[in-house]
Amino acid sequence: MLESFTSSIIDSPLNQWILNTYYLWPILEIIHFFGLSLLLGGLIIIDLRLMGYFRSLNLETINNLLPLVICGFGLNLVTGILFFIGDPMRYSVNIGFQIKMGLVILAGLNTLFYSWKIKPTLANWSASSDIPISVKIVGLISLSAWTGVLVLGRLIPYVGTG
Amino acid sequence: MFVWLETTPIAQWVALSLWAYPALLSLHIIGLAIVVGIFSMRDLRLLGITKGIEPSVFISLGKLAWIGFMINALSGTLLFTSQATIFITSIPFLAKISFISVSMLLAIIIQARLSNLLVEDRYTNSVDRATRFLAAASVSLWISAIIAGRLIAYF
Repeated sequence: MLESFTSSIIDSPLNQWILNTYYLWPILEIIHFFGLSLLLGGLIIIDLRLMGYFRSLNLETINNLLPLVICGFGLNLVTGILFFIGDPMRYSVNIGFQIKMGLVILAGLNTLFYSWKIKPTLANWSASSDIPISVKIVGLISLSAWTGVLVLGRLIPYVGTG
Repeated sequence: MFVWLETTPIAQWVALSLWAYPALLSLHIIGLAIVVGIFSMRDLRLLGITKGIEPSVFISLGKLAWIGFMINALSGTLLFTSQATIFITSIPFLAKISFISVSMLLAIIIQARLSNLLVEDRYTNSVDRATRFLAAASVSLWISAIIAGRLIAYF
């Protein structure tokens, strides 16, 4: 299934455009790097606060960084899809890419849990509030998963097929 | 001097070890996300693009950004040693280092202004024109540093 999917991408007009447009690849990479900065830069603040660091920061306030985090994710989703369409055979079989996508899904599920269960309770939190262990774990999973996403993305050229 | 640097044991280790270079690149991207992420969020807030968060929040976060910077200064230096003679003649590399130097200088100035803002105007946290200008320069320089950094691989 994966093979027929990737071979249907190859030679598609978009695939050809990405491959043949001079400088498009580095431009996409630059956007991808800025996007990941917004994503991890915002989440590291929120996640560390969830884990009990930076207690002087109000959790509800720092949640207002989330639009920038989502903006970073959006930039990286679009540029990431274009990378994949540009070189599907390279990414689809790469073990680094596969684990990276698994971690993105894990981080996504973790975020859903956060928005569903934890975010509605933030108004009741103060600097001295005890943080439930479940909340600390949510912060830790988010931070670890996204750090893993960055590392595996960087390792794609160095690891083999899975 | 750069030829000598490439022959040092640490440079040889970075260049020849199977995992040293990718491991350092991984550290470098984490540090990048922390520094550029936190400082651009601060700058976008000072420019009025992000709402609902006091600029003073970024005073304590400055420390975290500095940790990111230290990770990258260290991993970057090690990466540099392995191909010092190539990097030192690379225009994008030299541009990147210049952009980072200026934006770190701006970071010191902006963080100091944030502390003053907190003392003077704890509640309204209004941002003056000069600070907004510095913030615009800072975020542009970080983006320029990413652009130059990526282009090292292409030139």
